[in-house]
Amino acid sequence: MSDPNEALVNAKAVAERITKTRRLNACLTPPKELRASLVQQAAMAHPSGVLYGMPVGVKDNICTLEFTTTCGSRILEGYRSPYEATAVARLKTAGALIAGKSNCDEFAMGSSTEHSAYGRAVHPLDKARVPGGSSGGSAALVAAGVVPAALGSETGGSVRQPASFCGIVGIKPTYGRVSRYGLVAFGSSLDQIGVFGRSVHDAARVLSVISGRDARDTTCEDRDPLRLPTVPESLQGFVIGVPREYFPTDLDPGVRRACDQAIRMMRDLGAAIREVSLPHTAYAVPTYYIIAPAEASSNLARYDGARYGPRFNGSTDVRALYRETRGQGFGAEVRRRILVGTYVLSSGYYDAYYRKAQQMRSLIAQDFRNVFDRGVDLLFTPTTPTPAFKAGEKITDPVAMYLSDIFTVTANLAGLPALSLPIGRIKGLPVGGQLIGQAFLEDEMLEAAYALERVVPAAGEV
Amino acid sequence: MSVSREEVLKIAQLAELHVEEDRLPELAEQMSRILDYVAQLAGQTSETAKPFIPGPDALRFRVDEVKPSPLAFGPDTFAPEFRDGLFLVPKLGQFGDDTGESE
Repeated sequence: MSDPNEALVNAKAVAERITKTRRLNACLTPPKELRASLVQQAAMAHPSGVLYGMPVGVKDNICTLEFTTTCGSRILEGYRSPYEATAVARLKTAGALIAGKSNCDEFAMGSSTEHSAYGRAVHPLDKARVPGGSSGGSAALVAAGVVPAALGSETGGSVRQPASFCGIVGIKPTYGRVSRYGLVAFGSSLDQIGVFGRSVHDAARVLSVISGRDARDTTCEDRDPLRLPTVPESLQGFVIGVPREYFPTDLDPGVRRACDQAIRMMRDLGAAIREVSLPHTAYAVPTYYIIAPAEASSNLARYDGARYGPRFNGSTDVRALYRETRGQGFGAEVRRRILVGTYVLSSGYYDAYYRKAQQMRSLIAQDFRNVFDRGVDLLFTPTTPTPAFKAGEKITDPVAMYLSDIFTVTANLAGLPALSLPIGRIKGLPVGGQLIGQAFLEDEMLEAAYALERVVPAAGEV
Repeated sequence: MSVSREEVLKIAQLAELHVEEDRLPELAEQMSRILDYVAQLAGQTSETAKPFIPGPDALRFRVDEVKPSPLAFGPDTFAPEFRDGLFLVPKLGQFGDDTGESE
């Protein structure tokens, strides 16, 4: 049993840290409201919980009872959910404190938080740069030491990419490992709640608590919560595949050096390193940018001014009300994706786009199965092609922004677990290395991450 | 692939999304770029490849087909007003109005 005052001490300390780091624009909850709620939560938290007193930030697209859930959008401004996400409820049962709602790209659509209706979050190490996205607020809070862990969500890399940019650990579990109940839907066949931590252990502890069966989500597998592995002495017996498609000739040289160093270290730890091929990798981003907008256009149809959030009045009939509310309530990127999604699902284009993308998704998943069937346990790749980019650099070119997800979308398309951990820095900016595991074998992936984390100079220049 | 201004308007109408007139050229250009980019899948897939379905094996998509609604009585028997397969309800903002008119 922990010290029963610990939660209150932590609650006050995290409220103070969030106030001091307001310039990051990472937390959307007003400081006064946050402090009052944290103190109340601390009084309710049970000291026997495995996360007793641990403050955990929660991305603003995950429903909470304590705070509003806006998804970084004007269309849900002031929205208070009448229920909370299973992941949030499990954190509270384990004694954790919900440390406010963190900034994100609107409806999780973006790679920089520049698409948040509440302004972008700031990279904790360089204010001119983005923390990544869409879960950039959660990543910035963890990287700045405000909270030890935070929840994010992944549809195409929205936990791993900001984790890589901010120099922290980000885990995307297998599709079906964590309940999606209470996660506002974007691309339902891709969405998963993920976790950020300062260390592999912090992130894994939180993942273990939120994982496991949930009758409220039929896409959640009927499995026990994830059991944490022990920290291995070596990587003896591990076969780690290095897919050549993830190391193109134009890969940032610093990212390549950091990956080469990490691969050498895994070999020194006893792992067998094998070059492998995932031949359909080049088609992953176009596949993703058909499937995700298609699902988004359907999921976001419910925001019409009649059921949620503000309504834009002055309309002459109900359809004009829908159109005005949606036109004014959604930001530019969400409108763009709804239009693309509606286009690819519309009569005459469905076969040319959506059906093709679903077939390609199968081939991408088969690539992974082929490699794992040949004795490879895990794959190692860079998480992103470059370190954090500057704000404004990609905002006017949607395709350039989409390409920052090039190494992360494949795991979402195939439903596999993956994580990013810091493996070095280039001119002070963190570089992330990615481990991709086999479905529901997060424990193996975490073992390798524990071992690599112990030896890799995460804050060292490469 | 070039998306015209008219196509953007038509798609926006289908998506129930108001798009400002002055934003149309930029949107048409960006949509064209995105659709050009994703069109590289054409010719790359095998027609025999089955669509990927994530999630538990027990969970599979049902066949996408329209089935008759299993109502014991037709909707016209319990709707206050029903015409051409549609329920007639008061105009938005007119609930509670004494006129009782519907459209």
